[in-house]
Amino acid sequence: MVTGGGQRIGPHPTGPDDGTEMARRKDTQDRPSKPRLELEPSEARKTRLAGRLWVLAGFLWPVQAGAVAWAISGWAEPESVFAGQTALCVLIFIVAGALRALLDHRAARLVYVAADSAVHRMRAGFLNREGRRLRDDVSSAEMAALLTQKLPLLAPYITRFRPAMARVRVLPLLFLVIIAPMSWIAAIVLLVAGPLIPIFMALIGMAAKEASEKQMAEIGDMNRLLIDRITALPDLRLLNAEARSRADFEAAAENLRGRTMAVLRIAFLSSTVLELFSAIGVALVAVYVGFSLLGEITIGAWGTPLSLYEGVFILLMAPEFFQPLRDMAAAWHDKVAGEAVLAEIEAMEAAAPEPVLGQAALVAASGGASATVFMSGVTARRGGRLIRLPDIDTGPGQGIVLRGPSGAGKSTTLDVIAGLVRAETGEVRVAGVPLDEDSADGWRAQMALVPQSVHMPDVTLRQFLDPHGRGGDIDGALERAHARQIVNALPDGLDTRLGESGAGVSGGEARRLMLARAFLRGADVILADEPTADLDARTAGLIIDALKGAVAAGTCVIVASHDPRLIEALDAVIDVDPQPAAGEGAV
Amino acid sequence: MTALWRAFRLIWSSSPWAMWRGAGAAVLVLAMGAGLLGLSGWFITATGLAGIAGIGIAFDVFRPSAGVRMLALGRAGARYAERLLTHDATLRALSKLRVALLKRLELWPIERLRHLRGAAALTRITADVDALDGLALRVALPILAGGITHLGAFAMLWWLTSLPVAAVIALGYGIGGWLVILRVGFAGFGPSARAEGHTQNLRRDVIGLFRGQRAVILQGRLPARITALTEEETALREAEAALDRIDRRAGLWMNLIVTFVAGAAMLVAGWQFQTGVFDAALAAIGIFVALALGETLMPLRRGMAELGRMHGAAQRIFGEEEQAPAQETRIAPRPVGGLEISDLQLMRPDGSRVLVEGLDLAVVPGEMVALRGASGIGKSTLLDAVARTGSHWRGQITLAGTELANWPEQEMRRVMTMVPQRAALVGGTVRENLALADPDLTDEAAWAALEAVHLAEVVRPRGGLEMVLSEGGGGLSGGEARRLVLARAILRKPAILLLDEPTEGLDDALAVNVLNGLRRALPTSAILAASHRQAELDAADRLVDLEKYIPDITY
Repeated sequence: MVTGGGQRIGPHPTGPDDGTEMARRKDTQDRPSKPRLELEPSEARKTRLAGRLWVLAGFLWPVQAGAVAWAISGWAEPESVFAGQTALCVLIFIVAGALRALLDHRAARLVYVAADSAVHRMRAGFLNREGRRLRDDVSSAEMAALLTQKLPLLAPYITRFRPAMARVRVLPLLFLVIIAPMSWIAAIVLLVAGPLIPIFMALIGMAAKEASEKQMAEIGDMNRLLIDRITALPDLRLLNAEARSRADFEAAAENLRGRTMAVLRIAFLSSTVLELFSAIGVALVAVYVGFSLLGEITIGAWGTPLSLYEGVFILLMAPEFFQPLRDMAAAWHDKVAGEAVLAEIEAMEAAAPEPVLGQAALVAASGGASATVFMSGVTARRGGRLIRLPDIDTGPGQGIVLRGPSGAGKSTTLDVIAGLVRAETGEVRVAGVPLDEDSADGWRAQMALVPQSVHMPDVTLRQFLDPHGRGGDIDGALERAHARQIVNALPDGLDTRLGESGAGVSGGEARRLMLARAFLRGADVILADEPTADLDARTAGLIIDALKGAVAAGTCVIVASHDPRLIEALDAVIDVDPQPAAGEGAV
Repeated sequence: MTALWRAFRLIWSSSPWAMWRGAGAAVLVLAMGAGLLGLSGWFITATGLAGIAGIGIAFDVFRPSAGVRMLALGRAGARYAERLLTHDATLRALSKLRVALLKRLELWPIERLRHLRGAAALTRITADVDALDGLALRVALPILAGGITHLGAFAMLWWLTSLPVAAVIALGYGIGGWLVILRVGFAGFGPSARAEGHTQNLRRDVIGLFRGQRAVILQGRLPARITALTEEETALREAEAALDRIDRRAGLWMNLIVTFVAGAAMLVAGWQFQTGVFDAALAAIGIFVALALGETLMPLRRGMAELGRMHGAAQRIFGEEEQAPAQETRIAPRPVGGLEISDLQLMRPDGSRVLVEGLDLAVVPGEMVALRGASGIGKSTLLDAVARTGSHWRGQITLAGTELANWPEQEMRRVMTMVPQRAALVGGTVRENLALADPDLTDEAAWAALEAVHLAEVVRPRGGLEMVLSEGGGGLSGGEARRLVLARAILRKPAILLLDEPTEGLDDALAVNVLNGLRRALPTSAILAASHRQAELDAADRLVDLEKYIPDITY
């Protein structure tokens, strides 16, 4: 018989239940633990207040419904009507409706501010923590995705799910209490139909969770594949492999579409089931109301037959009884997505490496003290393995070469000296003081590390050489690194922008530019990882001369290399043998 | 706006039939929703009237209740169909668009690709394409369906009730509602585009920070970089707050409009009822339909607020002109023979200086020639010229008897392989990396290539061909990655092989072994290598010293 169709009537605070909303939940992986979102007191206060305002707005619907019912029943029985009754009803309806809209507006503002503050707080905390952690288990693209795509998913969790919970706890019960005195049968019908919705949602939600997990994984896979293939595109072209690579991507994109549709199908099915259920609930109520009004049913209304006023009122109230339940169901995905993000952050925290020493801030070089490096009995963790590092005792005007096979720990030794990797045991003293949280920043200010792999940031060559804009003798530094020619050959000289992986300069040229930067800084200590690896004999010889010159000028130079020319040129060689720390590391 | 229109046409035309059916279903959903409330309001009131009049027995309950049942079930069904159809069609279109964008990138000259920033291209293919998903779903379809429903409701109300009731409702929504929606679109355009721009900047800067994290820490720039990121985030939050303000205000107005229109409909219906135009039950229809029509405009709010973001994305995607594939003469290639170069002149990539001139050089099958000369002399430029990945040269280059310019790209790449100085590997297994060179890769061929470059013993204990490399070939040391790239080149079985510093990162003994293995694996290839290491020079049959070809003007 008559049904309200489970349709929303009148204005309502939450947004539409939109399927794509769910398809947008990017890259969030669920884990078994159930992390909770910790809100600051002010954020929690705003969220709570907003919930209350929305509940208050919900209280106003019965007033509006009453006004409509009163007007219509007045028209049916004109003899009992006073003049202007309709106008009075309209006034009540509009005032209550306007108040409701204003409350909604105010509450939405409160939750937005709370959500914005929470997301900002979590972003800032994340950056401050992760900035000092050198980790290779999370790629830069994943970091960016977490910060710009996943953390914002916590906002709908705060702005939609929490308020929906607040409403669901109060409003359906309140509406029942209002309806029951008019007709206990209608109240019982709603009471039975209402809880069925969350039960069905839970059932469908489980399937949805599994499907959306698969979809998230697919999004991650597609992005990884894509950035990789784009970077490798020049090589793929040379190999005639671009079509094959594109086919891989096409398959990944198709897979993703399939997964997304699977998620959407469940989401759409769930909202269809929801609509049908609330429609059935409303229909049962309306059947009863219609037949009561016709006088064919006489029970259920506390003795007196149901009046037209009560009939219209109950009809208007029934869909609104279901609305908070449906809002909660629609926001359920926000909760799942938000919790997935929290879980991912927790998992990242659990696997977090020790942060680098110091704040990585710009401070004045420790100065004064001479640049000495002393290491004794040091072990450090690299890739989960504890390795024994060589003992070193060197100082100004000395150049030493760390020699050893790949994987022996040459680079790790340089990292320990630079305070990037913490020593697990043993003693590291630099410039006469222990290398620790307090001394690391100052130490790094008087030191330069020329790494093995080159990352050219997207800046001009001038900014690259002089990142702090301190000026100085750029020409002199280029001269010492024998890098002047490189700059002369660049189209815009020092104002040339360098590519992501140093496009525009060759591998050997990039290395020389990094050395020039070290010279420009006037570093007291230069650490270099395989500085001659890709230079021709002549340039390598010049670089070796440059390093020797630095040693002669009082700089402490520590080089990891197996280049015999370099070994011959510097003062001392320390052999680095691969030895796990567990194997009773010999001195 | 043309970009937005192009994007919309692309999405719609990908499966127009599904889209039109989806649009039809969307109209049905809204119309049935309005019909449902109108009919049930009328039904309850009419039964009430019949009850009061004592003629309940004579009341026809069958037809109205059947109508209501049909509308309720039909509406749920239509909604399901609409969503499924339009979402599937949109996702299909976007998936095609992604592939088309990747294909467009592939047509770029290799020189340009080398300067391409991976993160920006990724954003275009993922985030920008994603931003377009709402164009049909949340903008075009709701506008179409809402507009048609409003017209239909106006006609039905006029027919069922009276012109004044229909007019009040139509004017309220037709003017007020659409004004609010338009205003969201206009006012939100800027902030929404800004928010998207700042998000992309933030994303790019975060990637930049973590890519160069070691350098940032070593230079003590971490706090400064975090401050800069926070400033970008503040700008993002400001744009988002502006957008939220516009959206919330629109929500307030929409709620007020629904309230006022329903109130006005109530007033007009009451007045018309008292003047005897229609009975109370028909009067109720106007009120209930007015309440129901609120649903037609609410979903548009979010779509309109996203318009600026969509526009920016569409402009980035469609703004660039497509690269036409180069016209190539089709010739029948003879994939035998070596490489001949005569009277070659090489210029710096910026054209500022002649590097080398008057170079004559021939490499016959089975021979390896090494190019010698200091860094920057033009060795890589020469290889780029031969590989057709650089255009800064003049003279004549002949591959296997056919002039370089006359080779169709695909054929040329089959005959000639180049290993650049910084060749890239991709994430995935060792097998997948090798299979890029040979789609029909067999295990035997793969292992033979790995043996040739002395990588087999490295890979075997770590999972063999199924050893998984991370992004960009991570998990291998520099020397191991270099050897895998060489193994990949071997699998191409090229007639002509160009190597740019092939053994970089290997110690001398290994370099000699790898080059010997390479030559044994490719006994008939003509190999030209740019080199500066003694080991590489020793492995070659012949040396060509580029210093001899430097023009007389000082170098």
